[in-house]
Amino acid sequence: MKQTQVWRTLLGWLLLTSPVFADDNAFFIESVEPILKQHCYECHSHTAGVMEGDLTLDWRSGWKTGGSRGTAIVPGDPEKSLLVKAVRHSDPELKMPEKKLSDQQITILTQWIRSGAHDPRTTKPVSEATADTDWWSLKPLVRPAVPGDGTGNPIDAFIHGRLQQEGLAPSPEADRRTLIRRLMFDLHGIQPTVEETETFMADTSPSAYESLVDRLLASPRYGERWARHWLDTVHFADSHGFEHDEYRPHAWRYRDYVIERFNRDTPWPQFIREQLAADYFFPRSTDLTVALGFLGAGPYDRSAAATAPMSFEYLDRDDLVTQTMGAFASTTANCARCHTHKFDPITQADYFALQAVFAGIGKGDLSFDMDQAVATQRVHWNTLKSAAQQKNSQILLTSENLKLVAEWEQSRGAKPHWLPLQADVFLSTNGADLKRQPDGSILSTGQAPDQETIVVTAGTSLSTVTAVRLDLLTDDSLPHQGAGRAHNGNLHLSEFELRAFTADAAEGRVIPIRQATADFNQEGWTIQHAIDGNLETAWGIYPKVGIGHHAVFELESLLAIEPGTQLVVTLKQLHGGAHIIGRFKLTATDAARLDVIALPVEAETVLEIPAVKRTPEQQTQLAAAVLQHHAEQELQKLPPYVQVYAAGAEAANERGMVKYAAPREIRLLVRGDLEKPRDIVGPGALTALAPLPGRFELPESHPESARRAALADWLADPQNPLTWRSIANRVWQYHFGKGLCDTPNDFGRMGGTPSHPELLDWLACELRDKNGSLKHLHRLICNSKTYRQSSANQPQLVKLDPENRLLARMSRQRIDADSFRDSVLLASGQLDLTAGGPGVSHFTTSPGAQVTPVLHYDQFDLDSPGAHRRSIYRVVWRGMPDPLMDALDFPDLGLLAPTRGFSASPLQSLVLFNNRFVLHHAQKMAERAKAAEAKMPDQIKRIVLWTWLREPTSEEQEKMTKLAGEHGLETVCRLVLNSNEFLFVE
Amino acid sequence: MLNLPISRRELLTHAGGSFGAAVLACWLGRESSAAPATDLNGGLHHRAKAKRVIQLFMNGGASPMDTFDYKPELVRLHGQMLGPKEKPEGFTAAAGAVMKSPFEFAQHGETGRWVSTVFPHQAKIVDELAFLMAMTTKTNVHGPASYMMNTGFMLPGFPCMGSWISYALGNLADNLPTFVVLPDTRGLPYNQNGNFSCGFLPAKHQGTLVNASSKTPIPDLFADPRYKFARDKADKDTFALLQQFNRQHAAPRPDDTRLEARIAAGELAAKMQLSAPEAFDLSRESKETHAAYGLDQKVTEDFGRRALLARRLLERGTRFVQVWSGPQGAVNNWDNHGNIQNELPPIAASVDQPIAALFRDLKSRGLLDDTLVVWTTEFGRTPFAQGSLGRDHNRGTFVTWLAGAGVKAGASYGKSDDLGYQTAEGKTYCYDLHATILHLLGIDHERLTYRTAGIDRRLTDVHGHVVHEILA
Repeated sequence: MKQTQVWRTLLGWLLLTSPVFADDNAFFIESVEPILKQHCYECHSHTAGVMEGDLTLDWRSGWKTGGSRGTAIVPGDPEKSLLVKAVRHSDPELKMPEKKLSDQQITILTQWIRSGAHDPRTTKPVSEATADTDWWSLKPLVRPAVPGDGTGNPIDAFIHGRLQQEGLAPSPEADRRTLIRRLMFDLHGIQPTVEETETFMADTSPSAYESLVDRLLASPRYGERWARHWLDTVHFADSHGFEHDEYRPHAWRYRDYVIERFNRDTPWPQFIREQLAADYFFPRSTDLTVALGFLGAGPYDRSAAATAPMSFEYLDRDDLVTQTMGAFASTTANCARCHTHKFDPITQADYFALQAVFAGIGKGDLSFDMDQAVATQRVHWNTLKSAAQQKNSQILLTSENLKLVAEWEQSRGAKPHWLPLQADVFLSTNGADLKRQPDGSILSTGQAPDQETIVVTAGTSLSTVTAVRLDLLTDDSLPHQGAGRAHNGNLHLSEFELRAFTADAAEGRVIPIRQATADFNQEGWTIQHAIDGNLETAWGIYPKVGIGHHAVFELESLLAIEPGTQLVVTLKQLHGGAHIIGRFKLTATDAARLDVIALPVEAETVLEIPAVKRTPEQQTQLAAAVLQHHAEQELQKLPPYVQVYAAGAEAANERGMVKYAAPREIRLLVRGDLEKPRDIVGPGALTALAPLPGRFELPESHPESARRAALADWLADPQNPLTWRSIANRVWQYHFGKGLCDTPNDFGRMGGTPSHPELLDWLACELRDKNGSLKHLHRLICNSKTYRQSSANQPQLVKLDPENRLLARMSRQRIDADSFRDSVLLASGQLDLTAGGPGVSHFTTSPGAQVTPVLHYDQFDLDSPGAHRRSIYRVVWRGMPDPLMDALDFPDLGLLAPTRGFSASPLQSLVLFNNRFVLHHAQKMAERAKAAEAKMPDQIKRIVLWTWLREPTSEEQEKMTKLAGEHGLETVCRLVLNSNEFLFVE
Repeated sequence: MLNLPISRRELLTHAGGSFGAAVLACWLGRESSAAPATDLNGGLHHRAKAKRVIQLFMNGGASPMDTFDYKPELVRLHGQMLGPKEKPEGFTAAAGAVMKSPFEFAQHGETGRWVSTVFPHQAKIVDELAFLMAMTTKTNVHGPASYMMNTGFMLPGFPCMGSWISYALGNLADNLPTFVVLPDTRGLPYNQNGNFSCGFLPAKHQGTLVNASSKTPIPDLFADPRYKFARDKADKDTFALLQQFNRQHAAPRPDDTRLEARIAAGELAAKMQLSAPEAFDLSRESKETHAAYGLDQKVTEDFGRRALLARRLLERGTRFVQVWSGPQGAVNNWDNHGNIQNELPPIAASVDQPIAALFRDLKSRGLLDDTLVVWTTEFGRTPFAQGSLGRDHNRGTFVTWLAGAGVKAGASYGKSDDLGYQTAEGKTYCYDLHATILHLLGIDHERLTYRTAGIDRRLTDVHGHVVHEILA
């Protein structure tokens, strides 16, 4: 129908010869514009926010000015118009759109241009996205006036003002038992003890409540509770998820970092900067590397990373964009991946600018020093080592370093005397033909085997041995003259082993090596690899082939040689590719004070020259050799690195070291399709939030971390309207069960609107202006009358405010999975408050088909060490949840989980009633009650106090006593742990 | 403070203002969250043809050209290097030469459908199945591909089809779980439990994982016998007093339906304790039935047991059952990289007879009238050899079949290219398959939504067309 109409218009128009057609506008609007809109705007319009090749086709000036290829349309001359060329697909370099238009559509466009390309669109269109920042969360954050007379808690002023408008009155304050229980669950995620409750109830001081709030905020239990909220929000777990759901043994350090940060009340802007770019902002605080665990919080598709790297990296960055913008700015930037955001001012280019922020990092374990002093040492010696490798005389010849060289030279014993080890027997296990040479060395000839192990049995005239020396020699028969037999003259010594056989011994004794040095080490293939017991690593000499080398193996302790003792040297060369030794000889020494560093020939020569006569070049030669050895020894003395699972410029994972030479080039992808790349997009954030920068102006050669730092600055900016509202709303949510805006990760038009916008803005300003302190907000909230209200039912509210958005009373909340588990442990008297460290697995494992193990939650020893620790210290396996926690709505951490759900189902009832954790601790609780009281009614009283924090009524007492009398005290424990009174907080 | 899975307005509309009752129903998943009208035969948006679904999932990527997708061209081109020169994303190795199927194909039934010798039993029922011959997906990697086929997304955290159906339609019976998953007893599929996650939907829509070979197939259905205080009369008395106390607790809090919901859930749990053991007791089936499902043969015993259990559950009111063939890993599944000729026949034989038996059993009991059977996998395999005898992952094209309620018997839709490498016509994604399944259940896939993090999420994302060509 519509098609026919178009044709009719076109035909009618074609038939007319007059260039001035009365209905030019109509033709354009009816026939031309729809084609442009449908097929071109996606990549060439202001409205979409995408201007591929700098060309826009959504107004006249756009095509007149043209893009990077020049004017798109020459009115009157279709053959000279790039647009026509493009739509005809006649030029292989310029085929637009990808799916060719129909002949009819091409005809319309051609005819339109031929007749002069009349285009009534004279005003510049505005981007659909940037057009509309008229939305509550995007408005500048301005501190609202507090209603009322300025006395009292401002929160109450906002809440009560609104209640008054609605003709409602707030509820009275809850009783003290309720208050302490509420505060404890909110701030510590755990039930108060009976003693704490009684103390508080008996405290008559007017500031009893305020002091309690302060005390709870100062306790380390606070961080354990609030870290869980943040870990949910950023979908942190201890395993990868996906196909290969592998454990991350170092992920826990980030969990501990978050706990510590909450406890310390780290200013929110600093918390943002540390998690996104600690390496940039605090390069000297290496211990802050743990904060980058934020970047590694989400899932990781190990299989895709290996076999489909492009799409893996794309989706992995997508997850980081989603997480960062959701968690810090409550913004669904990821919705703009395939097209400019349909509801919020986020262009598709903005989305890819955010991807570009994360384009230079890989996921895996980051190594670092927890102790700053160690880190300083490590930097110092590494600097010296690389100066030595580069023969940097400026560093090597400082007085401090020259002193080290001089000390070494003085302490050095006489030049050791090396006596040959007389090789009686020498064997190639892989069929090379070993031939003794006139000089006593051994040459490998014949077909070069892929791998090699040479065993030399030798006697020595020495009566003691302190070191063995291996010389690698050149030979004309070897590739590049050797000393190796690989095509490039290289070799790889995987392992050097020494054994001593006394005359009558059937078995040899392994002689431990203290240290090994070599005159030259191939990059990454040092001589240490020949004594590390690892057959995968080895010593190499490339590129310094064609000259002789040597290595010295110093024994752990002096080896006494009894007459008839044979030394057996095994040279394992297992790298493959004929990386085997071509020609070598073995010698030994008895020099007492060794310090037998294997010096390069040049350095050895320098030693012959008296110190005062050495040229600076000679000094450098010697210093380089000595200081490299010294630096390596100092580095070995340092405690090993610790690791955190994170993402960074260098991360170790199953593929080795992930390190990008430069950040990936990020291009806008049409419809988010990797196969439709368009222009390069630089790092940035949202363009609609001026004066915040939409794109980050970074110098040409910036470190990758500068991108993340720029985003952190963008987020932490006091002018960012989203950041402060986002976190203020979260804090409110975790106190009241629902945020002032009830969609904590989406402040866009698809999300909710705040019930009390001024209050939210006021809280956001408080947070922003009072040093980003969360504890300040907690105090304001907990001390408000609004928070202290009773949750008791008020019949009129059921109709007027069923969701309790107006807060004429407190909302009742079901405790979450973690609080339930921890409170059961408290009630059974088993709770272990040990803080920090590696996570506790609440399961046993058995090997799975591939790297993912099989988890057995039902076989876990419920009394094993650590089994009674708080739930925050539990290992959370992303793809295999704990059935107990699962039943109580512990979230699927494949996605961000800013809120915990509520469900009630028969399966949940069965788990709570029958899960062995609950039953086990019902037993423990019964034992605890029996230890505390002699008589059953008193025992029951205790049990009820521990869980309900009150005494049982006489009716309850009577019924429970009857139950316990018939079936045991455990039944009562099981009952209270399943009761709604225990599971809900008033 | 009610964290509603659907908006309050929606509830009030559907429940005609009786707010409390609707909330209660929706917490418990009893009937539907949106109380479907009776004239829709249990459907949510239109009249339903199917009430329950059994999905048979061949884990690892079942080879189409060695089972249902006959490709004579492979014989002609055997040994030629026609594959992609560069290793495509998600192939585990570079493509080898074209490889013909090592299995004979023959035409079966009145429809003359080609089936290879690996499926002799299914070959006998082909006239009653409807085939999607050009299924395709977006990735060649197991994890994301399994997520796609189960949840419609390549990323974790999204609800699977069973959860969406539970959310949309609720249960058919109070005494059994709504959505049951029966994984291969040798292990979980790729993504572990991720494939049966309810994602952001309320936890009660999670698939209940049933270990068919265990003495306690539903974990925690009963307390471990070592806790005597939680067994028998002690258990009953404790439960009775708990319910009494919970009612007393709820009495002064009449506005909070969650309290009532927990009490009601407890009652349902008790019912489940009564019914489930009977449902799981396969010894109540005849010897002939055991033999038909292959419980008497080692090769078919495991899948057969689970297929039979699935039928018992469906019969008793479970809405959605997913039966998996093959665990994750390199062996015992459909991921036949090394040698198609050796690796495919045993896994194919393990399901073939049980599937045919299940089909006939459902039919003879009249269950097929309102039960939908779906056979699928996460992707296909390459027509090019991996090594010289295996086949690599191929997202290009693969086969799915449907049967039962509302499905046109003997229908076929779509075609792969001559090599079976890509689709040629009638390309169908998981979106279309899911849309079709929901359609048969009386659900418009575009209207089944859940608002989370700024989007009204759907099982079918922003895609999906019902494949009417295979509907009766």
